[in-house]
Amino acid sequence: MYKNLVKKEPYPPGDFAVWIIIYVELITFALLFLGYAFSRRANIEMFNHSQLMLNQTSGFINTLILITGSYFVVKAVNSIKSMNQDTYKKFNIQASKWLLLAILCGVAFLINKVFEFSHIFTEGITLSTNNFFMFYILLTGFHFMHVLLGSIILFNIYKKTKIYGYRINDYAGIESGASYWHMVDLLWIILFPLVYIIR
Amino acid sequence: MKKTVEIVWLILIGLSIFAYLLGYLKYINYYVVALLLITTFIKVQLVIYYYIGLKNVTLKYRLIPTVWSITVISLIAVAYYLPLDKTF
Repeated sequence: MYKNLVKKEPYPPGDFAVWIIIYVELITFALLFLGYAFSRRANIEMFNHSQLMLNQTSGFINTLILITGSYFVVKAVNSIKSMNQDTYKKFNIQASKWLLLAILCGVAFLINKVFEFSHIFTEGITLSTNNFFMFYILLTGFHFMHVLLGSIILFNIYKKTKIYGYRINDYAGIESGASYWHMVDLLWIILFPLVYIIR
Repeated sequence: MKKTVEIVWLILIGLSIFAYLLGYLKYINYYVVALLLITTFIKVQLVIYYYIGLKNVTLKYRLIPTVWSITVISLIAVAYYLPLDKTF
């Protein structure tokens, strides 16, 4: 009963512009995911054999890192939303701590991915090795750049919380950055089973 | 439900461990792939609703990423399950 009485927000959290970017990214990745899935049909054995060269544990660790990073970002946004006129400093500080943890998750993801890429490239694998590795490098490389950008965005939000930049009626910036970060997480949630697990 | 975010995090971690173990133990077959795709859809919906926060937003904005995920995951399933002799 009560749930039905809760008034829904008219717009998603954050600026409208970031949602345009998110929708474009979702479409782009959807095409890459489907390109991978349908290309696989042309040579299933080659895809399955090539997939064995990937480090599933590394992909799994990165999944845990991104999910946990997203959790920290939710906590940061909730901290900012909890503030009032008198407590804005306290909650900006609280949010900055959660954001720092989220940034560390982003950096950990990037470092882990660099190790994974270096292993693959040391094996002599390139974009032209075969279709599996072409999609693997494209998808994970493109996603890597999004995590990098997301981490930079979170760092800028972090800097703003350090100067108590978010106020009770002015927190669209952190919501925009958070929405972008969750989109990056969401894409990896599909990418991981598709490229590393399903065969 | 003050602990909703923590519960969602635990479910996401749990489903990710489940997916990893299936891959690690090489327990992947036609039926397990369907299960993996369903759990992936659940994870995506949890992120959309509880992490991004679209749970509290009007239906049309919730529908956009939901329709996106249904379309993508369904087409991945089609690519996986469609008999090979029917490829064009």
